[in-house]
Amino acid sequence: MTTEMIRLVLIDGFLAAIAAIGFAVISNPPRNAIFVSAILAALGHSLRFFLIKSGFDISLATFVAATFIGLLSIFFARIIHCPAEVFSFPSLLPMIPGMFAYRSILSLIRFMQNTDVIKAQGFMLDFFHNGLTTLFILLALVVGVSLPILLFPKLSFSVTRKY
Amino acid sequence: MNDILLTNEPTIEKTAVLLIDIASALMSSGAHTMRIIQNVSRMAETFGYELDLSVFQMSIMMTIVSKKDPGKLLTQIRKIKPLHLNFSIVSDLSALSWDTYDKHLPFEEVTSNFEKIISKKRMKSWLVLLLVASANASFCGLFKGDLTAMTFVFFATFAGFFVRQEMMKKHINHLVVFTTSAFVASILAGMGYVIHLGHTPEIALASSVLFLIPGVPLINSILDILQGHILTGIARLVNATSLIVCIAIGLFTSMLILGIEKL
Repeated sequence: MTTEMIRLVLIDGFLAAIAAIGFAVISNPPRNAIFVSAILAALGHSLRFFLIKSGFDISLATFVAATFIGLLSIFFARIIHCPAEVFSFPSLLPMIPGMFAYRSILSLIRFMQNTDVIKAQGFMLDFFHNGLTTLFILLALVVGVSLPILLFPKLSFSVTRKY
Repeated sequence: MNDILLTNEPTIEKTAVLLIDIASALMSSGAHTMRIIQNVSRMAETFGYELDLSVFQMSIMMTIVSKKDPGKLLTQIRKIKPLHLNFSIVSDLSALSWDTYDKHLPFEEVTSNFEKIISKKRMKSWLVLLLVASANASFCGLFKGDLTAMTFVFFATFAGFFVRQEMMKKHINHLVVFTTSAFVASILAGMGYVIHLGHTPEIALASSVLFLIPGVPLINSILDILQGHILTGIARLVNATSLIVCIAIGLFTSMLILGIEKL
């Protein structure tokens, strides 16, 4: 790992933390959950960035990062007494495949408008590529983050319990 | 004689109204179905009732049965208010349900705590506006946009989210709100294209509408489907997808106006 790579990973984590804070406040979480979600987003997103740079494909990298976030979130949930999804969902938001999602809709619109068969085929290909990427990243995110919850259900549903 | 019993156990009508209020508050604040069912069942058990719940996108249906007297039961349906994400409510109500279970809180105290929780003020809207704008700008940075692009995205998001907040206050249709604010944000971000500023104007345009993507409903829908609440999950997925279609339409309109072919 070169110093240039470390620099890029750090920048990625920093930007992801700011993004997570901003997207988290839309859903009005408790104050201490905002900071935890920023930390989790920075760790998760920079891990994903590193994995993609070292040759993983995007959905597998997302799955690993989301599992990492899920495991950490159970740990943090016990410290700040707050359900894990309250800060683990906001920390996933920078990884939501928004661009793939609307690109697939845009390529559908282009497909409809185009009469040239060759071009239209290209747009159909774009639609399936973007749409399936969206679906697989979403699945990877949710399965990854809820894998710890499914494995330890007692632990994760009782974190707000104080006794 | 009945009155003596009622002093330590709330009536079935009162309990049903409180529990269905809690369930619908959780649903409109963006909790997933499993958590709603667990929280409400736990509270029902404390008050001496058993509970069955089905959750739909627009309404909640609930039957509660007295544990002592199975002939005593009540079914209720309650409309759900439109989705307005609020994770503070989810967190506090989850804590309240455990408190009720562990400390055997009296019914009146649970009711007053519930009212306190749902009337808590949200974060100041100007602060949310600033944070969302800087979040989307740094998101543009994640997609390798340069500083010029990030500045454009900051102001575009600021305007777009402001439009969204104001239209939400006037209770305009969700789909119209999303289309309009996607259009406003993307046409402002596309100005970098028009005046040839910066090296990555296309990234500014592409990431300007990302603050609108309904991330939490998307995650909730997949989670619901995985946990077996397939109908609710599909309803949430269709809802989120229609919002994404609206975002794409808003973006497409401004691409048409600016004359940009490919994104």
